[in-house]
Amino acid sequence: MKFGRSWLPAHVFAWLYAVLLAAPLYYLLVSAFKSNDEIFGSPFSLPTSFSFGNFGEAFGSAHLGQAMVNSGLVTVVALALTLALAIPAAFALARAEGRAGAWVERVFSLGFLVPTFAALFPTFLLAAATGLFHTRAFMVLFLPATAMPLSVVILVQFMRTIPREMEEAARMDGASTFAVLRHVYTPMCLPGIATILLLNFLTFWNEYLYSLVIIGPDPEQRTVQVALPTLKALTGTDYGILTAGTVLTLIPVWVVYTVLQKRMQQALVNGAVKM
Amino acid sequence: MTMLSSAQDGASVRRPSPPSPPPVAGPRRKQGGVILAVPALVWYLVFMVGPLVAIFVIAALHWPGMLQPISYAGLDNVRAVVDDPVFWESVRNTAVQLVLALPVMIVGAYMLGYYVAQNPPGHRVLRYLLFIPGLVSTPAKAMVFYAVLSPDGLVNGALDTVGLSSLTDAWLASPSTALLCLVLLDVWSGIGFTAVLFAARLGSVPAEVGEAAQLDGAGHWRAMWRIHFPVIRDFVGVVTMLQFLWTLFGSAQNVLLLTQGGPGSSSTTLSFLVYQKAFIAADLGYSQTVGVVLFLVGLVGLLTIRRVFRQNY
Repeated sequence: MKFGRSWLPAHVFAWLYAVLLAAPLYYLLVSAFKSNDEIFGSPFSLPTSFSFGNFGEAFGSAHLGQAMVNSGLVTVVALALTLALAIPAAFALARAEGRAGAWVERVFSLGFLVPTFAALFPTFLLAAATGLFHTRAFMVLFLPATAMPLSVVILVQFMRTIPREMEEAARMDGASTFAVLRHVYTPMCLPGIATILLLNFLTFWNEYLYSLVIIGPDPEQRTVQVALPTLKALTGTDYGILTAGTVLTLIPVWVVYTVLQKRMQQALVNGAVKM
Repeated sequence: MTMLSSAQDGASVRRPSPPSPPPVAGPRRKQGGVILAVPALVWYLVFMVGPLVAIFVIAALHWPGMLQPISYAGLDNVRAVVDDPVFWESVRNTAVQLVLALPVMIVGAYMLGYYVAQNPPGHRVLRYLLFIPGLVSTPAKAMVFYAVLSPDGLVNGALDTVGLSSLTDAWLASPSTALLCLVLLDVWSGIGFTAVLFAARLGSVPAEVGEAAQLDGAGHWRAMWRIHFPVIRDFVGVVTMLQFLWTLFGSAQNVLLLTQGGPGSSSTTLSFLVYQKAFIAADLGYSQTVGVVLFLVGLVGLLTIRRVFRQNY
């Protein structure tokens, strides 16, 4: 018997923590369908009716609809740019044999140790200097830079596993360097590309502080993570609306996670291991 | 000239296939140009390294607000920071936060990860749940905590229901508990996510390691700490470094969203102080001087953690 009696405390603690994790989220979910009175009166009971009034309210008062669109836009364009920069870079580094390649690769590996948050104010100055302050455009340009070290390092690892013979065969058929990149390397490291897409989707969608400072509070421009906390001030203490708004921001991530759970966990583990 | 253009040795040059078993490097040297890596590198240097260097420059400036005249301050900012009691309070708060959160998080997550890696009954559900904090954005987590800890929130409601009204408190607005709430948020969300990382890494440890331990009659506790831990020691170090950085630098967001550093400065951490001095108090030189301190703390912390977790077999 592998899980004998000595495992009892382990079972208890693990599930106790799981309950601690799940309880606030359950509370979040059911509160989204309740009024304040119901939330305080019976915080854990199931909602009496599944009306979407709170969601509509949250959508309206914080312009969450526009904010979702903005977040989606920033995330998708930034992801595309990340791939456009990282794939050629990884391709070059994986095949490079000179000292320059090793040097560039080291720069990217050290990038892990540079915490993104450290340079908030200078980045703000950069946004102001480029005239892109209070626009989504700056975030679209900036986010890929934060993702570069991880993305390049992961992709280089994938591309190194591709046998040279593949490229030579393509070259014999007269393929150019770009054709080799497009038709040999990119298709063969699709799992790596999926990994960095998933990882960066999470960080881009969830990014808060830079979006707050750089995009600012303009409802036409701001992302959903910036819009969400304004519900706290806007609605006073209407927890129903606050929690409904929170649930809304979680939906895209939740859907992706539930569909791609295995791959996403693997992606995050890769992200940590490759450091 | 090591920078070869990748494009030029492209289609025009038809290389004869190299003579049989090609060594890893060597004869095809010319293939590897790094020119395609230049855009990514430039991007990275402009948006990440540039601002980072700027911290050190701004720290030496006297700059009392975005539109104010700038003058060279030398070490004046350092003096101002060192003489400021708020700075020392935030140093203390950051220290408390790290000392409380990190060990609990890493030890708890390792044990939980080990448990999950044994695939106990229900481990799939457990893995799914544990991972959730890794998905939820900082503002969303903060909103959940706000709803739970606010004066008429979940915790106080529960205390009232069980007749312990005397224990209720304005958790986030009380000097004695505000910082603790922030630590709790870190630990709450950090353990689950980190445990999943550990579980995945432990899952790739060869099964023979565990079996050998069982044959030797090692108990679970021994197997966990004496046999598996050394095997993934360097991985634990990497994860600890990540959590250290997230806690050290990321705390600004939670503080901003939940307590605004107050009451007083009882929950002001170093990274929030950087934010607050830059964007609220508009004392830019001061802010970036603290930024330099934060950066150095981060660097020293990373080196220390790396040393502690160095693979020693």
